[in-house]
Amino acid sequence: MSGNENSRLFFFAFLLPATIFTALVLLVPLGSVVVESLTNPSGWTLAGYREIFASRLFRLVLVSTVEITLISTVVTFLIAYPIAYHLSKQTPRRRALLMMLVMLPFWTSILVKSFAFMVLLGRQGILNTSLDYLGLPGVQLLFNRTGVIIGTVHSLIPFMLFPILTSLLALNPDLPKVAQLMGAGRLRIFLTITLPLSLPGIAAGVMLAMVHTLGYYVTAALLGGKGDMMIASLVDLYTREILNWNLASAISVTLFVMCCLVLLLFSRSKALATVSQSS
Amino acid sequence: MAAAEPTIEVERSWLSTAATVWAWLGYAFLILPTLIVIPLSFNSTTELAFPPRSPSFHQYRQYFSDAGWIDATMLSVWIAILSAGLSLLLGVPAAYGLSRGSFPGKTALSGLLLGPALTPVIVMALGLYIYFAHLGLSGVAMPIVLGHTLIAIPFVIVTTMSGMRHIDRNLEVAGMIMGGSHFYVFRKITLPLLRPSILASGLFAFLISFDEVIIAFFLSKAGNPTLAVKIFASIQWEISSIIAAISTLLTLLSLVICLFVAALLEKK
Repeated sequence: MSGNENSRLFFFAFLLPATIFTALVLLVPLGSVVVESLTNPSGWTLAGYREIFASRLFRLVLVSTVEITLISTVVTFLIAYPIAYHLSKQTPRRRALLMMLVMLPFWTSILVKSFAFMVLLGRQGILNTSLDYLGLPGVQLLFNRTGVIIGTVHSLIPFMLFPILTSLLALNPDLPKVAQLMGAGRLRIFLTITLPLSLPGIAAGVMLAMVHTLGYYVTAALLGGKGDMMIASLVDLYTREILNWNLASAISVTLFVMCCLVLLLFSRSKALATVSQSS
Repeated sequence: MAAAEPTIEVERSWLSTAATVWAWLGYAFLILPTLIVIPLSFNSTTELAFPPRSPSFHQYRQYFSDAGWIDATMLSVWIAILSAGLSLLLGVPAAYGLSRGSFPGKTALSGLLLGPALTPVIVMALGLYIYFAHLGLSGVAMPIVLGHTLIAIPFVIVTTMSGMRHIDRNLEVAGMIMGGSHFYVFRKITLPLLRPSILASGLFAFLISFDEVIIAFFLSKAGNPTLAVKIFASIQWEISSIIAAISTLLTLLSLVICLFVAALLEKK
């Protein structure tokens, strides 16, 4: 091949349009948020950050966002792992069919899913009317923390499931068989072989789930109560209701930094590489 | 062939039964909310009775005869078509460059291009809101199209790259040996082989844009909402069964696209 230099330039040219676009539509707007968060009419200042960290509302919202993120991630793992494990044991044909049960909700609008949960879980909803019919007391599952977590877990499951499934499918099927031949029980095989070897997938899934939940808005806005405001709702409140772009930007930068910290935390676990493989 | 494999599974332990039951409960939890809206959409009144007392298409007629809903739908369709087209135009070549090229800074570049998938949408929405306010860029659809293209590009790149992994590289090498230039090989060999992946990523990009709420919510002009923004606003006011009809149509769209993509990628 004549000249490696030439082919390098050739491939780089293919990347150029997308790179310029992303720089203009992602990096420059992110830069304007940072600048906005550090300026007020009198010039450069950290006043915005001082004000939000002194605000009781912001601290409450920060705590509830972190709580919702952690609880949802754990619950999502407990549901997503068994599904991924079950999928990994199927024949390719059956797996493709069962995957539709995961893909359809994944590609369904978050509004449709939230609306469905409002209809299912509300006071007059299907669940409570059925309980009432059976003579059982109703349960309050909407406009509170439980509602937010149910809705969040539902939309996180696919994000957690895909990387775990990838690492389970990459697992050498002979390993469990050999262990079984040597007399290991099922639980022992799972705990000493399957689970440890699927750790990269778990790390990737947990990372994706956390980064997504930290920025969630629609689910909490529709299924939560007053006490379940998340950081994203606060950004909206300051941008469009209070019209204070300085504070809205300071809150956004804080959210962005939190997501970067999560990515950093997982960067040593090869989670990112697993994510790009699994898609 | 199966007979040759040593089968040593004797008992199905209670543990594996419990795991299977738990997995099926998980499938049910995933699919149930998506399906529950369908029967509700056939209510004849705005009240959401389950099952509907006297099934009818009343809510669908309401939707199709309301100019506000139809305008919002058409706006969303246009935005989704433009976003899908633009994200393919930018994303497919980028995926080719990333999977076939090797040059310094490739990791950083793929990090930048996939970055929108890991950045909170609300942060990008605020950034675009401030940015377009400074630029003074007006127009109903253009700012939203740019934002939706940004978040669709990572999906296009990842889907196309995974299609690229399944292409026999020897075909490309053969094309080069026969004297084809890089660009000729890309156009005549790689691109035709990639057609199913490109079509799949285009459809997903369409769906990403069509269903997106937050960026559209921040960049919509008052009185000219996209479909998603209009649904979001109306759910916050009341739970009416016209939303059930629209939700059913949206679910149907997702189902058709999912089945079509599954069939496309199956053929390979």
